[in-house]
Amino acid sequence: MQSVIKSSTLARARAFRTAQNVGGGVRSFASSARRSQAVPTEKPVLMKEFKIYRWNPDEPAKKPTLQSYTIDLNQTGPMILDALIKIKNEIDPTLTFRRSCREGICGSCAMNIDGQNTLACLCRTDRNVGKDAKVYPLPHMYIVKDLVPDLTLFYKQYKSIQPYLQNDNPPASGEFLQSQEERKKLDGLYECILCACCSTSCPSYWWNQDEYLGPATLMQAYRWIADSRDSYGAERKEKLQNEMSMYRCHTIFNCSRTCPKGLNPAAAIAKIKLELAAE
Amino acid sequence: MSSTTLLRTALPRAASSFSGRFTPRAAIQVRRATSSSTEYVPGGPIYKGTVNDPTSFPSPSKTHGSYHWAFERLLSASLVPMTAAAFVTTGSQYPLLDGLLGISLVMHSHIGFDSFLVDYVHKRKFPVLGPISSWALRTVTVGVLVGVYQFNTNDIGLTELIAKVWTA
Repeated sequence: MQSVIKSSTLARARAFRTAQNVGGGVRSFASSARRSQAVPTEKPVLMKEFKIYRWNPDEPAKKPTLQSYTIDLNQTGPMILDALIKIKNEIDPTLTFRRSCREGICGSCAMNIDGQNTLACLCRTDRNVGKDAKVYPLPHMYIVKDLVPDLTLFYKQYKSIQPYLQNDNPPASGEFLQSQEERKKLDGLYECILCACCSTSCPSYWWNQDEYLGPATLMQAYRWIADSRDSYGAERKEKLQNEMSMYRCHTIFNCSRTCPKGLNPAAAIAKIKLELAAE
Repeated sequence: MSSTTLLRTALPRAASSFSGRFTPRAAIQVRRATSSSTEYVPGGPIYKGTVNDPTSFPSPSKTHGSYHWAFERLLSASLVPMTAAAFVTTGSQYPLLDGLLGISLVMHSHIGFDSFLVDYVHKRKFPVLGPISSWALRTVTVGVLVGVYQFNTNDIGLTELIAKVWTA
């Protein structure tokens, strides 16, 4: 606080001196020539239309609609999430969506933007104002409100694969040791933030999500199968030995295409299939 | 009536209006939940157990799991050389190859159609239509197998038929 006051005092003193130099007499800075000549750089107005899925649980009989908002892109941050926050702050406070970290690590703002599941915070707004931006919630999920999907089943499925280290014979002292090769197997698996973009882009998950685990959960299943410190690999694999849990994957690859973190769930599922077949 | 109950009754309706495509399926689909909306329906918004319970797995069976998958993949892969072999040979000279190709093709399509039925008309969602279509598919497959056998033994056989159609 102290330093702030000091610097502002300094700035005022400098301004006073400048004013004296320009005008020659005692003039306030606000009326100096330099001040009046200075034109703030103004960006042109760039209005873009956002069409956003709206559904309100308080009016359950009302059909979901696309609501249109038009905002100036030059007064908004570069990402879709910035636009959504601007709309919520300035136009419509009832617009509902999840967001937290705004940097692609929490996975809260997963939604369907222009037909692609992605994180709103990692998705740049298209500067082409001739085309509107369409924002929908994650496809084929039950909706809580507007852009907020119900992810309860997704989390229940994640819990079902026991996403934690299980080993009955921990090392007598110290930590589990891993070779560099063993550690390398987990790269591309552990980075998953469980945003559900991949699972909800998978047609098999759309039709059979009550039984099929979906790419996100299956990749985490493989993350624990592949872990050299885990000794429950056989049990983990046996759980997937049925028609529905994993073999509903038909290698459509929507998961790998849509992943906002650039991971490859399809490859992980293929590796589980190979391990099961080689047993 | 609590707000959660209100929300629950609202969800299926919201889901059915989510897209027009699903309306016919919702009409065909047998809904076990009639009076109480909190009953479990496969694919519905009501979950088995509480939100903290993990989902359960079907009982493990390698026949439905890895064996099925490996068989399907090996069959698909072996169809490639078999088709190529059928191109360079004549069916009447190599009846064994012709027969093997006939069986493999029919099995391959049976597995493909069966996968379609499991995806879209599974009996957990369609307790009537599901088994009917499964048995219909099995009947058709057996019928086609018999037909292919008859055609291969009493007529010119698959390979030569395709060769004839090709040059016609």
